[in-house]
Amino acid sequence: MTEGVAATSQVVMGTQFWIATALFILAYGLIVSEKIHKTIVAIFGAALMIVLRIVTQEDAFHSMDLGIDWNVIFLLISMMIIINIMKPTGVFEYIAIKSAKVAKGKPFMIMAIFSVVTAVVSAFLDNVTTVLLIAPVTLLICQALELDVVPFLITEALASNIGGTATLIGDPPNIMIASKAQLDFMAFVYHLTPVIIVVLIAYVISIKFIFGKKMKVREELRQRVMAMDEKEAIKDPVLLKKSLVVLAITIGGFIVHGMLHFEPATIALFGAGLLLLVSGTKEPHHILAEAEWATLFFFMGLFMIIGGVVKVGLIKWMSIKVLELTQGNLFGTSMIVMWFSAFASAFIDNIPYVATMNPLIIDMAKQLWPNLSGTQLLHHPDLMPMWWALSLGACLGGNGTAIGASANVIVVGMAEKMGKPISFKKFMLYGMPLMIESVIICTVYVWLRYYVLKI
Amino acid sequence: MKAKDLMIPLQDYLKTDNTLKEAVNLLRAAKRGEEKVGVKGLPVLDEKGKLTGMVSMGDILRAVYPSYMSMMNLGDFTWDGMVESLAKQVADKQVETVMTKNVITIMEDDPLMECVDHMIRNKVQRLPVLDKSGKVVGMLYERDVFFAIVKAMLEENTGGGK
Repeated sequence: MTEGVAATSQVVMGTQFWIATALFILAYGLIVSEKIHKTIVAIFGAALMIVLRIVTQEDAFHSMDLGIDWNVIFLLISMMIIINIMKPTGVFEYIAIKSAKVAKGKPFMIMAIFSVVTAVVSAFLDNVTTVLLIAPVTLLICQALELDVVPFLITEALASNIGGTATLIGDPPNIMIASKAQLDFMAFVYHLTPVIIVVLIAYVISIKFIFGKKMKVREELRQRVMAMDEKEAIKDPVLLKKSLVVLAITIGGFIVHGMLHFEPATIALFGAGLLLLVSGTKEPHHILAEAEWATLFFFMGLFMIIGGVVKVGLIKWMSIKVLELTQGNLFGTSMIVMWFSAFASAFIDNIPYVATMNPLIIDMAKQLWPNLSGTQLLHHPDLMPMWWALSLGACLGGNGTAIGASANVIVVGMAEKMGKPISFKKFMLYGMPLMIESVIICTVYVWLRYYVLKI
Repeated sequence: MKAKDLMIPLQDYLKTDNTLKEAVNLLRAAKRGEEKVGVKGLPVLDEKGKLTGMVSMGDILRAVYPSYMSMMNLGDFTWDGMVESLAKQVADKQVETVMTKNVITIMEDDPLMECVDHMIRNKVQRLPVLDKSGKVVGMLYERDVFFAIVKAMLEENTGGGK
């Protein structure tokens, strides 16, 4: 580790270093404490990073390494626009009602099918959006069948976090990792989707054991569900057809974006622009206004704050410490990254976590292979498992507690509104074991695939 | 004309710990003068007689309307008996949980146009009327304002000059 010691001396711990570090810790502390809304913390923290001359405005707005990752921002905005246009067509109500009928109104079948549908939809849409589209119908179906909504809400939130891990666009951590590591959509499909399918199968079997036996429904109540006509959900068939065509083009674009050398955000922006055009809307204001601006500004602020601590060398210093700790053992490092990420994400927002881990992993790679740069460095065969370990840990870790992922927070809020509050402890009782189960599966997968079979 | 000239002096009101069952019963049978005619909304007072909210028929409808229905377009997938069974479920809820807390009020000496302004601007049909100490002394209803306008239109002489 003489290399590491030599590298430590490269980090100058001057006034700038300590100001940026203090600002970073203070901002993250405030975000975790939830005393002030996280978006406000991020915006003000970012402004301070510039005002205190840690980074320049040029760095913050235009630098790929130190500033806002516009690839992430535009991908998110574009997907939000596409969903906002599709929502009024009724397609999501259609899918959910149809699912309940396919399950023939049988409680566990509904739970299993809803979980799988949630996971699949989450793989393509934001998890929160997916839960907001599936959960209201779930509550309606539970009311019709006179079932307790809590198990359904919890299983859907967990399923959305599992499904979101499967693709580049499924969950913000993946979008961020893809952008920083320059990984394309198919790389995620090739490396993450297989293990997520296994995780999902194990998950459905697990919830069968946990909830399967308790639920019984009277025949006449089942008839209420069977009497629903899902076709009535479709309010705008013309717009729906247009939306589905554009969505197919967009997903097709994601599949080939690596080959065509387009960034994912370019594909998403094209999809959003095309759908805005063909939807025939004359007033795009409300479609754009409904994008989740608080989330988007949270991302922008965070990127600028992270830029500050990257510039002063804090992240580099941390990466050196991690390598010292693991003695350069890359299998050990990836395992630590996965498990640490899982437990960290269970308690803190995985977005700021991954925003910090991305440059840390890149700095680590720079220590290990100082002569490489660009994709040669980012896609070094020994580094690749680290990205997947980070993604799997950070995304699946969110399932651990009620505050681990935004989707969990949403369902807890909904349950409370329904007069069925889910306590932190109750959520954890289901979430934590299921999270650990999924991370164990991923551990075996990463070990087997990248360190034993090396494929 | 002022608010106090048109208001119905306060007779019936709800207390924060009343149940919805009690609230709908009073809404149905509230008095107007001597007659029990029912009203579309009632003020809610706390134990000290201070105004804390309003309960209207709309609030009762919202009380049986599940929150998830407003999140998506689910009206086509409801069933016969749904409202009735939800009504039974919420019957023992406290008035406090469904009342409108942000109440628009007027002072008894406010001119009528100010009352009309409040009604139009805030889309409300009834306004609690307060005296100087902040106590509710009456209710001003849209229909009574309407009849004041009718009177002014049909009997020109008694109009604005008064």
